[in-house]
Amino acid sequence: MNKHCGVNMKNIHKALVLSSVIMAGSTQAEITFNGFASIVGGITTSSDETLYSYDDTFNFAPDSLLALQASSDLGEGLSVTTQILARGENDWDPDFEWAYIAYNASDDLRILAGRQRVPFYMYSDFLDVSYAYPWIEPPAGVYSLQFSTFDGIGAMYNTSIGSFDSSVHLIYGGNTTDLSIAGALQNSRLKNLMGGAWTLTRDWLTLRAAYFQADMFIDVPPIEPLAAGWAAAGFPEIGDKLKVDDDKGAFTELGFQIDYNNILVIGEYTLLELNDTLLADEANSYFLMGGYRFDNILVHATYGWDDSSKSRITNGVPEIAPLLPLLIPTNGQTDGEASDSSYITLGLRWDFHDSAALKFEYTSYSDDLNSNNDAGLFRTALVTVF
Amino acid sequence: MNIIKSKFLLSILALLFSTSSLAGVSVIVNSANGAAIDEGDLSRIFLGKVKKFSTGDKITIVNLKYKQATRNEFEKKVLNKSASQVKAYWSKLMFSGKGKPPKELASDKDILAFVAKTPGAIGYVADGSVDDSVKVIKSF
Repeated sequence: MNKHCGVNMKNIHKALVLSSVIMAGSTQAEITFNGFASIVGGITTSSDETLYSYDDTFNFAPDSLLALQASSDLGEGLSVTTQILARGENDWDPDFEWAYIAYNASDDLRILAGRQRVPFYMYSDFLDVSYAYPWIEPPAGVYSLQFSTFDGIGAMYNTSIGSFDSSVHLIYGGNTTDLSIAGALQNSRLKNLMGGAWTLTRDWLTLRAAYFQADMFIDVPPIEPLAAGWAAAGFPEIGDKLKVDDDKGAFTELGFQIDYNNILVIGEYTLLELNDTLLADEANSYFLMGGYRFDNILVHATYGWDDSSKSRITNGVPEIAPLLPLLIPTNGQTDGEASDSSYITLGLRWDFHDSAALKFEYTSYSDDLNSNNDAGLFRTALVTVF
Repeated sequence: MNIIKSKFLLSILALLFSTSSLAGVSVIVNSANGAAIDEGDLSRIFLGKVKKFSTGDKITIVNLKYKQATRNEFEKKVLNKSASQVKAYWSKLMFSGKGKPPKELASDKDILAFVAKTPGAIGYVADGSVDDSVKVIKSF
């Protein structure tokens, strides 16, 4: 995932957080440092195949990362946490993944302010900590949103419901990460990003449901001439449906995990709905994983499926010659948003050390609309926490 | 010769003693702790899901350091998890900013000392290490 923030905000943010951590250190509040790292290499199985940023040359850049987290207890329930992450795909440029102040209002209620994770998915909270989950990366079909953090406030409330531990995480804020649309990174702004995730845990069973929505503002220069053309032709509403200007996006997630003795079963489903944009109206993704533990080796198999659809927005427009230069590219754009693909991943995780694990995975990806995109990918990773 | 022989015998006895104490783990709390602790809750307590005893005292968990046999045994018997699973569990909490792994001490002696002087402390030691300074809740 690429991260390119507005420069000024980023620097102010960094300065604020660094100074609060330093101040905390100077007033003798304890700073705790922890970190995690993944060294991941991958290669596709033939020269015309690419998958998840890998091609047929062995490459360490796409998924490797190194992170350092500093946490300082300021007393009276307040603490500052920052996490700096350097990714191979960003030339190892370190960036603040999070920087927030947390307040423990009570044993059950915790309030966060600053840059923090959006709890979209089951593994959102520790998205980059490969040590914490079976795969090298959570299944990319489901874990496909281009951003995972926001600036704003969050609240976490823990309680018990019967024999279940319940945890609710609500957020409100915004995000200005540039998003890749129509082949390039575009200026983006998400406002009123709000929603929550609810997790229920009992012994070996975890259940989760989440919903988030935001108002999206994304500049997409390639679409501007087309939108202007529609306006000039007397169909401004079609132009509006192509632009991403105060359009609502909604995300829904359902997930479960069964971790019973040596058996592991994990499943997650997501639905992304975007209204009145050039992008797909609806995208569905799910995966189902089964795994078995032998001592300190875990073998697992995952099946995933993703599809997206978009209705044409030109219904009712007469198919007359002067409008064809608008109709053809517009229909081409909307028709092109349909997709249908699936993948199977077979993997092995070996906990050879108490703080590190070795992982091996093979993914076979198949594009049901265009088999030229089919690919096979081998990946291996050394992952650790410290 | 006699001295060497008796030292030899003593060390064999010590070995026997230590291997037999590996066969059991005792969960201990501060002697002044009068709380009723449900065995079923022990797992949740040591995973940080329960923050206070029934008396209202804040719980402070203390663990042995990683490679210790007693810790492995405790985690298998009481938490029903392997060392890696426990590490992954605390990593999740730590790297999501939601929690910190418990304090770790190097030996049974250090654990006894800590639990004896800290009102809300709860920990575990090998059966053979238990002494009067602490209260035993349950042995496994």
